[in-house]
Amino acid sequence: MKAAKDGSGAMRKALLLVGSPRGAKSASRMLGGYLMGKLEAGGMETAEMTAAAALQSTENQHRTHKAVDAAELVVVAFPLYVDGLPAPLVQALELIADRRKGSLPASPVAGPRVQRVAAVVQCGFPEARQNEAALAIVRQFAKEAGFEWAGGLAMGMGGAVTGKPLDKAGGMVRNVVKALDLAAAALLEGRDIPEEAAALMGKRLMPTWLYTFMGNRGMKRSAKKHGVLAQIYAKPYE
Amino acid sequence: MNILILNGGPGDARGAACREVAGMVEGQARSKGWAVAVFDLAGLEIKPCRGCFACWLKHPGRCVIKDGQEAVLRTAAAGDLQVWITPVTFGGFGSILKRSVDRLLPNILPFFVRIDGEVHHPQRYERRRRLLALGTLAGPDEGAERIFHGLARRNALNFGNAAVLSGIVYEGEDRTAAAGRVRGLLEALGEER
Repeated sequence: MKAAKDGSGAMRKALLLVGSPRGAKSASRMLGGYLMGKLEAGGMETAEMTAAAALQSTENQHRTHKAVDAAELVVVAFPLYVDGLPAPLVQALELIADRRKGSLPASPVAGPRVQRVAAVVQCGFPEARQNEAALAIVRQFAKEAGFEWAGGLAMGMGGAVTGKPLDKAGGMVRNVVKALDLAAAALLEGRDIPEEAAALMGKRLMPTWLYTFMGNRGMKRSAKKHGVLAQIYAKPYE
Repeated sequence: MNILILNGGPGDARGAACREVAGMVEGQARSKGWAVAVFDLAGLEIKPCRGCFACWLKHPGRCVIKDGQEAVLRTAAAGDLQVWITPVTFGGFGSILKRSVDRLLPNILPFFVRIDGEVHHPQRYERRRRLLALGTLAGPDEGAERIFHGLARRNALNFGNAAVLSGIVYEGEDRTAAAGRVRGLLEALGEER
């Protein structure tokens, strides 16, 4: 595959920022990683980091700013936490935005002129629409921090795919794979994530009744395994 | 009426507007004879949620992380009204408030139930509670404000609140007007039964 270069002849770069506290083992990393793989196959140079690592030290914060500066595309992948972004990801975005708005010292690294942000969010609820506020928050971050918004993908039933590489997860995730393939193709061409990709990503992996039945059964089994099934409704603060 | 105030403003000058709003809420609530608990979150050690679900499946109702959030969880369980105060951050909550809100998970149950045609989790503590989300902004920002109000409604649904209101206080606005607006929101929620 021919390497993709920008107008100045430099390698086009994409950065994946993973917002899950579970890091490399998370469903968010799996989804974002698949997208990065497609961008890499299309000739982009890719890098990734977790929000938690980005906050760990001043040195890591500096590395994060440098990576953001160099990226033509920043993809934020995260699980829905209480209708929004996990707190460490909010904090990482606050740091990036503050610096880009000039309230912190600027980096000497000159970045590409047009930089874009895209988002991939997944939640444990069956309905992908429960991610809407979170996507709106990332879009607003892009606006406030001086990025162009390249669009977002939101999926529900995230609990059903955790731990399985997408290309080995079978037919259940075929629409997710198609959505990410379409998104990657568009992003490589400098286009926004198409509506078709967002619609495919939002399709349910299975009927809602089956997902909730399996989810509730799985919770009980897990509590039983840990010897706390009888206490699952405990009210320790009453 | 038990009222829990979570002030998510930074501890430095950037959190001045949030501190003022928290003061308005606290003063008005006390003048009504309500029991008030205030948490200035910036001054507490509250670590981020690990997403381990141990609070559901290993020691139900308790977080594995022992820090300042335990007192927030205890107070929230007994609260009738929660007031969340934050700088509006990309339309959402700032990281200081979000760290505490993310860790309210032990107070809900792991199971899925249908509420108003959507799937949510039931509450661990059955109580008819209300939510008031107050954001501070340097000035009007239609896009950010729309996201903020929508987010508060979503949060109310996911935390089983019977009523929710949200409001914005601008940093430069007349404080008497702002205090009047906060009072109106508090009174409206205080009258909800």
